[in-house]
Amino acid sequence: MLQKLIKKVKGMDTEFQEYASKFESEINRGTSTLSILSIISQYGKTGVHGYQISKDLLEQTHNMLIIEEGTLYPILRKLEGDRIIKSEREEEGRKRKFYYITVYGEKIYNYLSGFYSKLTEAIAPLFDVSVHLKQNKYFYCPACSNKIDLKNLEAKYCDVCGHYIEKELDERGLIK
Amino acid sequence: MNENSMDYSVREYIKEVEKRLPEWLKNKKEHKEILADLEEHLWSKAAELSENGQPNEKSVKLAIEHMGTPQNIAKEYKRRGEPKYYITKELWPYYTKALGGVFAVIVALVVIGLVVSFFTGNDSFGSLIGGLITGIQSGLLISFAIVTIIFVALSHEGYFPEDFKSEKDKELMKELREKKIEEGDPTQPLTKPLKPFIKQGGTIVGGGIGLIFGIVLLSQPFPTYMFLPDFLMILRIFGLLTMLESSLDISRGIIGNRRPSTHQALHAILIPLKLSVIPLLGILMNRPEIFPWFSEPWIHVGIPVEAYVFYRGIFALIIAITCLTTIENFYNIIKIQKYK
Repeated sequence: MLQKLIKKVKGMDTEFQEYASKFESEINRGTSTLSILSIISQYGKTGVHGYQISKDLLEQTHNMLIIEEGTLYPILRKLEGDRIIKSEREEEGRKRKFYYITVYGEKIYNYLSGFYSKLTEAIAPLFDVSVHLKQNKYFYCPACSNKIDLKNLEAKYCDVCGHYIEKELDERGLIK
Repeated sequence: MNENSMDYSVREYIKEVEKRLPEWLKNKKEHKEILADLEEHLWSKAAELSENGQPNEKSVKLAIEHMGTPQNIAKEYKRRGEPKYYITKELWPYYTKALGGVFAVIVALVVIGLVVSFFTGNDSFGSLIGGLITGIQSGLLISFAIVTIIFVALSHEGYFPEDFKSEKDKELMKELREKKIEEGDPTQPLTKPLKPFIKQGGTIVGGGIGLIFGIVLLSQPFPTYMFLPDFLMILRIFGLLTMLESSLDISRGIIGNRRPSTHQALHAILIPLKLSVIPLLGILMNRPEIFPWFSEPWIHVGIPVEAYVFYRGIFALIIAITCLTTIENFYNIIKIQKYK
């Protein structure tokens, strides 16, 4: 994961380096899986192959979230085993494997991404930074943090926890 | 580094990854696909890192570095399952069942040893029971350690129960899963499950009670002077048969709702075992004079002559019921067929 970044810093003693590296791995484990899922989700029905995912991951995180590229495939395999994503191999050409998010995966992703966004917003003051959620773009369920895209707003209830969201939406003037 | 040596570096790297992949993955068709995907990724990266879009010595070396060590890749594949006391949650039920199975076999072996000593040796009943407890204790301890080490190792390697299934079953499960994904409802069970054909808890408890009853009849830890030797011998044989029958019940309970063919075989063994009680019941039926009859002040007498008809009627009923219970075993053999 981020070990490479920290190894670049000269003058770090081994003990510090090992401790920091281990801690970073722990922080990054869930984050990188969620980020991979985010990229696959962005490609929707077009699908995306492994190499493109690793490339996008670097670009979209400004070279900050670095994963050892070989470890991307076990993560993808696990997500596929958990039915979060599915894959299809190209029939011609380089016969690369393309990954797509499933309907179930979309639901899981929206929930986890909402949870992660709310968590980041909540812990931001601890590190003296500010995080602003895009409240004009998404609605976060007050009961479970599920992220609901306002463009696709149809139901009056949160599709994860069943919370009645119409009142909150009305208060924010989001119901036409 | 020319083209051949670049190929060599990539091949060596892929070979190293292959060597370290977990065993459960090596048996699968996807194993070759994984390596092919890694190689494809490596060449794409090497091309990207080169200045002219063509992989070169430096870019291949850098691409291999970006991929991470073969150890780390293999480690990521092995990171499967939810940890639970060093054994994954997925393997935990199989671990407890394996322990139960091994424990049952050890107890059965020690008990058989005790029975043999009882009939052939000169040891007192007390020393035999002492030997039984020591034997069971050490047997359980050793088997617990061995089974636990095996399951910790399997969890560490990332094994799942499905890795022990046949290729045919795995393909079937995959097809069902893909169908469910298309329907967008993967949280539902993949098939409408059949009702379990055995209640594990009840069968094990019932078998355990039967086993204890059988041991009591065999060891006869009660004042035997009140009974005739012929009656006591019949009780011993009856106890032995009960123990065998109960051990089979415990085995069925431990196996649970798996291995239908084994269940069928056990039911087939149970039929003659149950029927073998009938000659014993027949002897007792025809010899009412050896059957104990208790009356004040607890002195043994045979069945009173005037009660012979009633006594024989009861035994005829027991024989009929014993025959009828074998119908259940025949029925189970047929019923379990559809779980195959």
